[in-house]
Amino acid sequence: MTNSVLPQSASESVPMETQHMHDLRKRLGPWLKPKILVGGTFVLLLCFMGVFSPWISPHDPNAQNLLNTLQPPGWWAGENFLGTDHVGRDILSRIFFGARISLIIAITVVLISGVVGVALGAISGFFAGHIDFGIQKLVEVVWAFPPLLLAIAIVAFFGQSLIILIVALVVQRWIPYCRVARGQALSLRTRDFVDAARSLGASNGRIIGVHILPNLMQAALVIGTFAMASAIISEASLSFLGLGVPPEIPTWGSMLADGRTYISTSWWLALFPGLCIFFTVLGINMLGDGMRDIFDPRLKRSGSGTG
Amino acid sequence: MLNYIIRRVLGTIPVIILISLLVFMLVQAAPGDPADLLLSDEATPEDIAAARERWGLNQPVYVQYWKFLVAALQGDLGTSFRYADPVLLMIGDRLPATIELAIVAILIAVVIGVPLGVWAGARPNSWVDNVGSFFGFFGISMPSFWFGIMLILIVSGFLNLLPSAGRNTYGVADDPITGFYILDSLLYWNWKAVWDGISYIILPAIALGTNMLGILMRVTRSSVLEVMSDDFIRTARAKGLSEHTVLWRHTVRNALIPIITVVGLELGTLLSGSIIVETVFSWPGSGSLLIEALNSRDYPLITGTVLTYTFMFVIINLTIDILYAAIDPRIRYDK
Amino acid sequence: MKLRTRITGRGIATVAMIAAAAMMSPVDAKTRVAVGATETISSHNPHGDSISMGYGIWCQVYGCLGYFDFKTGSYKGMLAERWEIDKKDPNIWTFYLRKGLKRHNDGKELTSADVVHSFWRMKNDPQSRQTQNVKHVAKTEALDKYTVRVTTKKPTAPLLEFLFDRVMITGKDLYDKHGAKTADRKHPWGWGPYKLQKIEIGQRIVLEKDPGNRWASKSMPDELMFRVMREAEQRVTALLNNEIQIAQFIPPHLGSRIAKSKNANLVPTSSVELMFLAMSPKHKPWDNATLRKAVCHAINRDAIIKAILKGQANRLDAPIGQGQYGYDPEAAKKMKVEYDVAKGKALIEKAGLVGLKVELHTPVGRYVNDKQVTESMIPMLKAIGLDARLKTPEWATLWANVQKGKVPFFYMGRGGVVDPSPAFAQYFETNGSPRIGFSNANVDRLLQKERATFDPEARKKVLNQAFAEIVKHQPACFMWRHKLLYGIAKNVSYKPTPTGRIWGYAISVK
Repeated sequence: MTNSVLPQSASESVPMETQHMHDLRKRLGPWLKPKILVGGTFVLLLCFMGVFSPWISPHDPNAQNLLNTLQPPGWWAGENFLGTDHVGRDILSRIFFGARISLIIAITVVLISGVVGVALGAISGFFAGHIDFGIQKLVEVVWAFPPLLLAIAIVAFFGQSLIILIVALVVQRWIPYCRVARGQALSLRTRDFVDAARSLGASNGRIIGVHILPNLMQAALVIGTFAMASAIISEASLSFLGLGVPPEIPTWGSMLADGRTYISTSWWLALFPGLCIFFTVLGINMLGDGMRDIFDPRLKRSGSGTG
Repeated sequence: MLNYIIRRVLGTIPVIILISLLVFMLVQAAPGDPADLLLSDEATPEDIAAARERWGLNQPVYVQYWKFLVAALQGDLGTSFRYADPVLLMIGDRLPATIELAIVAILIAVVIGVPLGVWAGARPNSWVDNVGSFFGFFGISMPSFWFGIMLILIVSGFLNLLPSAGRNTYGVADDPITGFYILDSLLYWNWKAVWDGISYIILPAIALGTNMLGILMRVTRSSVLEVMSDDFIRTARAKGLSEHTVLWRHTVRNALIPIITVVGLELGTLLSGSIIVETVFSWPGSGSLLIEALNSRDYPLITGTVLTYTFMFVIINLTIDILYAAIDPRIRYDK
Repeated sequence: MKLRTRITGRGIATVAMIAAAAMMSPVDAKTRVAVGATETISSHNPHGDSISMGYGIWCQVYGCLGYFDFKTGSYKGMLAERWEIDKKDPNIWTFYLRKGLKRHNDGKELTSADVVHSFWRMKNDPQSRQTQNVKHVAKTEALDKYTVRVTTKKPTAPLLEFLFDRVMITGKDLYDKHGAKTADRKHPWGWGPYKLQKIEIGQRIVLEKDPGNRWASKSMPDELMFRVMREAEQRVTALLNNEIQIAQFIPPHLGSRIAKSKNANLVPTSSVELMFLAMSPKHKPWDNATLRKAVCHAINRDAIIKAILKGQANRLDAPIGQGQYGYDPEAAKKMKVEYDVAKGKALIEKAGLVGLKVELHTPVGRYVNDKQVTESMIPMLKAIGLDARLKTPEWATLWANVQKGKVPFFYMGRGGVVDPSPAFAQYFETNGSPRIGFSNANVDRLLQKERATFDPEARKKVLNQAFAEIVKHQPACFMWRHKLLYGIAKNVSYKPTPTGRIWGYAISVK
């Protein structure tokens, strides 16, 4: 730390370095709330697990040992920290590798569906009329399929693979974004500031991009955080029905589905992936929540603490 | 307003027809032969060929679809390959179970989730907020099948409080009137049956509704937060209205739109989530019927069940849209 | 307002009382046994299903000609008292029905006309899924009131495998009078010890004992209910809660929960379902016998049975095992395939197939621990030098492809193998079915011979010769037969059968 010279009074000038630090702290300040710190830590931890899994895993996640099946967690003392599964694979290692796939799936699905959904929804709501009609018809048709049926059909038809799974998850997930974006756009398009912008000569694209979209961001962010969780859980559900990724790829979802059979006798197979899913979701939500608190200008104005 | 409603209703008809076509095609295109799957392992090729002929599977797809459409418009959704019963009858038998489950799940989600969200939103970052948010996170991150099995293990197995499977005890209820056991039992004034029905529905409803509870709590909270910072709330406060009035009369009403949106959106997830919960709890609803039908490629049953779900979704969407327009006049627009 | 408070007050009191009463078990003179089952029948039509449970239920309600007695290892008569095969023309079987059997409700006697009608209906009912049971039958005739002549198309020694435990006898008069639908639903009257009380499709089937029936005894439960419980956890929980008294098909790892419990016993029984790895010679390089041999040597069956199946399986050394018709323990010893990684490796190298990509297809959730078992096989295949992968397609897709013969390498089971003849003809005879597409003249000859050999000892010999020939060419690696685990309440005495059918007359309530 630099020499922190505390100002005696507001009017007294301070040396250049501490002014710099002071500005930095002021800008960082809002980010240092517990929600963001805790949430961010979880997310970072999980990303770390996923990225560095080959180096931090004590065992090969696919190495089987039929003499060592269904061993309870050994913690620090034992061979397998979190125990082994029904074919003797180390659970901790599978959790690390599973983080990778689960996060990839969740992020990809949310990004793709979010972009597609918000875009379509904003356009639909802003322009209204025939465009809205057309897009909403598409929404209705796609939405009315029970999600499982569409997913089963896609996986059964095209086989099991990571890409196909992502497609199956995206194919209906863009709709919530679309609906909410449309709702917001519909109600915002009649607001004064839109008329004002238009009277100043702004094009439609500019109005959508500059005025409508930012107002959607918050809703999109909130939906996005749920969507990540739901994507991970949907992957677990599809695995439960036998439709997830091919068996040689470890994911938390398939570990959960496999472990379900053994829940009453070997609870550790399902508990740890379940906990990971829980903390992932928690972390993402807290992070998103905290970020929303910072970004929302209206919260600032009402003086709810961010100054 | 009436105009709007009529336009929307008419608009749903082509959607439903289009979906029926898509489902029909999709199901026939997927690999798997119903005759193979439904007949015995030892069936001869002649048996299988005879079954295919009997079920009309040798005709071109568009002919099959046309026949289906014509019959459907007259209220006949075909006959199940597996059960040899009319599909409409089978769905009618099983659908009330699913709807009953969904209703109780929604009740649980709304009755617990919304107030939690309102309180949390009104006092951000307080302990109320943290506790409420924990429930919210819990609900969102819990896969329903895992939760369901845990519930069976703990509540039914370990604590022995509630039954673990099915919908009711044999012999307790009288003959069904509406198909909704609890309602029927109330109509019969048969309290033993009412209690019996509740004891069976509570675990699956919790497993099913927890997800929606979490989402509702979070959305309500963020929605309330947003509205609370709006200008007109400041005005209301400035006018000297009590915090309670500000909260419930003004804030909640304006926060309703996202809540209704979410309920509407999540109804779809709920109905399809019931498929998994029904499997775990052996709940005899249309969700488990659909899964069985899918596994055996029972085309008429699949198409019929999917269309029924479709119909319900479309109605729900319609209702949501109308509610939108009713609540927020800014949305209602006429060309 | 007044009405509301009155109802509330009374309502609360009533609910409280009912709640208290509901906690206590009902005092009842009737003995009830509930079974937690994994399957359900599809309709009231007794010919509408071809699953074990369906046969079990309808044989108890309507009555079947006969059944296989696992205790003695022979066929016994139920509605048929005895039968004989004509000495001069082995195509002619004559069944002599029991006299004086009275039907539920109206007491009508069983006659040969009903039997002839039932054969006809099994074949011609549009909903029938049991036509394969009568595929060897050319015609049936009623010789007199209690005698039926069945003529087969070709001499068929294993005919009873198709007829007994399967052909249930329904009343011709009811069918003629009311038509199939009404007869099945409104008049499901038969000659078996149990009456059909109710079917709630997908939920439960309720049978009620007919006290006047010849096979009904006092110790048998008055009410036998089959409840659909697909989840294993649920069946176990329900058993331990006393919601059911018999839980079918407990997975191996849950066995200990039942064994340890105070109110239930774990009762294993061997099954008649053969589990095997099929390798289709129609697809290169599976036509190479060396590859097939190597794969069979690579699988450590004992380790899998111990670790994953918790010892609850009987290894198959011969293609069939103890309790199945034609099993010869001496012959089995000679047919055993040893687990030998070194040998497997050497064979693969000799065939020049090191690094060959193979895909093992398996169903998921259809057989006991199917996915877990095949997961453990992948490293074993890798150990002999194959680049193995597991594929877990959805059942409908997998079955469609297997039926068409498109799957080169898969794990599968073949159930209901009491007399092995039909199963082996199906899988290993030329043109039996496209599933494996194996074809060998010797095997064909031997299988055809055993079907036409009526002397039991001679037939057993021929069967084992056929088995030895099949094992020699190895179109399939025979794995094991799972032990069926039943959880049975301590106050109920029941010995389960290997076919999975649950017979009320084998249950007694203490």
